[in-house]
Amino acid sequence: MSTLLLSRRLPVAADRMATAIRIAAIGCLVLFAVTTPGFLSAPAIRSFLTTMSFVGCVAVGMSFITIGGSLMSFSLGVGLSATTIVFVAALPLGLWPAAGLAILFSCLLNGVQGLVIGYLRANPIIVTMASFALITGIATQITAGRGIYAFGTETAAFKGNLGPVPLPLAVFLGVVVTGQAILGHTRIGRQIILTGSNPRSVLAAGIEPWRPITWSFVLAGFFTAFAAILMAARYGSGDLQHGIGMEYHAISAVLVGGTAIHGGSGSILRTFFGTLIIAVFQAVLVLRGFSTELQHLALGVLVLLVIILQRK
Amino acid sequence: MDTPTASLEAAQKGAPSQPAPPVLSVQGLARRFGAIQALSDVSLDLRSGEIRAILGENGAGKSTLVKILTGIHMADAGEIQIDGAPVRPANPREAQDLGINLVSQELSVCRGLSVFDNILLGLSDLPMFHRRPELRRRARAALDSIGAGHIPLDKSAEDLSTGERQLIEIARMMSRDTLVLILDEPTATLSDGEIASIMSALRKLRANGCAILYITHRLGEVFDVCDTATIMRNGAVVSDGPVAELDKSQLIELMLGRSLGDMYPAHELKGGRPLLQVTGLQIPNRTEAVSFSVPRGQIVCLTGQLGSGAEDVVRSLCGLVSDASGTISVDDQVLPLGRPEKALAAGIRFVSGDRAEEGIFVQEPVWSNLVATRLRRRSQAGWLNLYRLRKEARGLAAHVGVDLSRMATRACDLSGGNQQKLAFGRWVDDHGGKVIAMIEPTRGIDVGARAEIYALMRRFCEQGYGLVIASTDFTEVLGLGDVVVTMFRGRVINSYNADAIDMPRLIADVTHPEAA
Repeated sequence: MSTLLLSRRLPVAADRMATAIRIAAIGCLVLFAVTTPGFLSAPAIRSFLTTMSFVGCVAVGMSFITIGGSLMSFSLGVGLSATTIVFVAALPLGLWPAAGLAILFSCLLNGVQGLVIGYLRANPIIVTMASFALITGIATQITAGRGIYAFGTETAAFKGNLGPVPLPLAVFLGVVVTGQAILGHTRIGRQIILTGSNPRSVLAAGIEPWRPITWSFVLAGFFTAFAAILMAARYGSGDLQHGIGMEYHAISAVLVGGTAIHGGSGSILRTFFGTLIIAVFQAVLVLRGFSTELQHLALGVLVLLVIILQRK
Repeated sequence: MDTPTASLEAAQKGAPSQPAPPVLSVQGLARRFGAIQALSDVSLDLRSGEIRAILGENGAGKSTLVKILTGIHMADAGEIQIDGAPVRPANPREAQDLGINLVSQELSVCRGLSVFDNILLGLSDLPMFHRRPELRRRARAALDSIGAGHIPLDKSAEDLSTGERQLIEIARMMSRDTLVLILDEPTATLSDGEIASIMSALRKLRANGCAILYITHRLGEVFDVCDTATIMRNGAVVSDGPVAELDKSQLIELMLGRSLGDMYPAHELKGGRPLLQVTGLQIPNRTEAVSFSVPRGQIVCLTGQLGSGAEDVVRSLCGLVSDASGTISVDDQVLPLGRPEKALAAGIRFVSGDRAEEGIFVQEPVWSNLVATRLRRRSQAGWLNLYRLRKEARGLAAHVGVDLSRMATRACDLSGGNQQKLAFGRWVDDHGGKVIAMIEPTRGIDVGARAEIYALMRRFCEQGYGLVIASTDFTEVLGLGDVVVTMFRGRVINSYNADAIDMPRLIADVTHPEAA
């Protein structure tokens, strides 16, 4: 009678393996970045940090939607575009009122979608896709497809630097800290996490899930509005082009950061690192002269790889 | 149909004195998960025509054993033999090819498919171009082999009862070449009437020479159909022998490593004023004119077979049924129906029987689960006092008996009993709480944790709560209820005080109330 000894790698070892792969991947990226000619120059770093901050604010907003169990919003990018238009159009009222109005508009625009999803228990993918078409249609009608421009220097305060730091980066860091505080330390933040974890348990615990779901979209609109205002100030225009593809970059950052797509777990800090990783990756590709097509391809592969690595 | 005596004979037939070699032989199986030794040196033999019970508390290692046998996990050490030849299933497909098939706790019947399709689902030797009549004969034979020939092949699985679905799942395994059939708590979600049909299916399979491993928490079933029993504790086998040599209290002692004491705590009955009053509760297609009342400090059990409406009544108390009508009042205050928030405000607290689906938050840590309902009270202008919340969670954990060192553990890593304690823990010291409404409070919970849950329920009663429980576990209902309300097809049949009802009465009420 032959005996067969059975043995296999322990799950703990698999966990360590995954951590090792993660550290190795980040190490590779850093090495890849610092050896790229031009990456460590001040103008390159400034431009890279600025672009990252725009996507980052949207990604922080998207995190609330994902963690709250509504997967993602397809209309966050076009919502951003519409907000830039509202901001520029409202500039005659003054810079700060215009900013306030833009934030309010963005919160409402996304909040209504959240209300439909939460209250009517509608599918978030369908609702946000329909909103995408709706917002594009209405905005194109109103602006006749052209952007509107802010002449003069009224947006100067929203450009430039805060001390040594580019203003968009300072705002993005503020958004990350605020977002993390809301998610981890407020009632609504915890309710969003619990709803994403299990909406039926939330209901049984006496919290009606439509509230946290709506709130997650309001917060998404709130943080996206910061990106919109900064972009409008930087480019001196409100334009439907500004937010194109933004939701894709945002959800990539959320997922690369390690927030679960099905909701209930994740953090804004993770999204920050996800944004950073993607931004470095893209900057390196640009500086090394990869074509736009190749950049898209590489980004897609990166997101896929990360998701495969996260699979338990 | 086998009689108890016949099963006793079968027990002797399958006894180890028989020279026939075991179909399945497990020697010295071990498996470690991180710091936890889930299995150590587990050995057992299973012969043709033998039903072997695998018993133990949650966490005793039963599931790990099953997962190794079915190729989901690999063992760290030890040997598995099928018909004397060593095997090593690396995945469920290989286990199926070896003839080891599992009917798991969670039903995997596809509701949209017919009975026939469901039986053939996952069959590995199904050719791409197959002859349908032959396969139909095979499915038919599988159904007949478990005494379920009355179920038509073309019926949609959607129209079957839970018990019939469980039979379909067993038939699926029998349509394959099954040497060893493993059943993991097949009766956990069934009512007593349906369990009888599963038991008779098992007896038929045994008569046909099938070898069966049977995992259950219902000890009555062990004495009913099993020939031998392997009792596990902390990952090791503590007893292995014929069931006939054991009695129920010995069995419980072996499982727990201590004697259980009284399962249902003795208590003084407080005759309180009615706390909760339900009058004419009506749910379309579910219940008709259900009325009962719950006195303060007492446990009222609504019972019946699955589909009796007891569960729906409890759900509508908690505002979870949107089309309920009738009057529900707490302390003479009438409650608007279908609004969970209003039910909560009126003092009704819900503990679901479906813990993973609508009870706890499985990905969340223990502390977060315990304070999930206290966020509003423990926040100022929306900001949470996390320090106080964590402290409060520790207090609640101590109260319900969850290990304080596990506050950061995710709920999915806890046993069913501990998960249920979390669901209860939320409502401890809960200002304004008056009624606790529960569905199947001990479903899938082992016998040791069960006693703790019952004691916890009594503690709530002493604090002045009234408890309403929907349960299909008749033993539990009789042991626990101060008032037992029997239901059949959405109607209340009778209401008894604890001393006025016994098992025959109860069964008569919930099966054929017209005859009673």
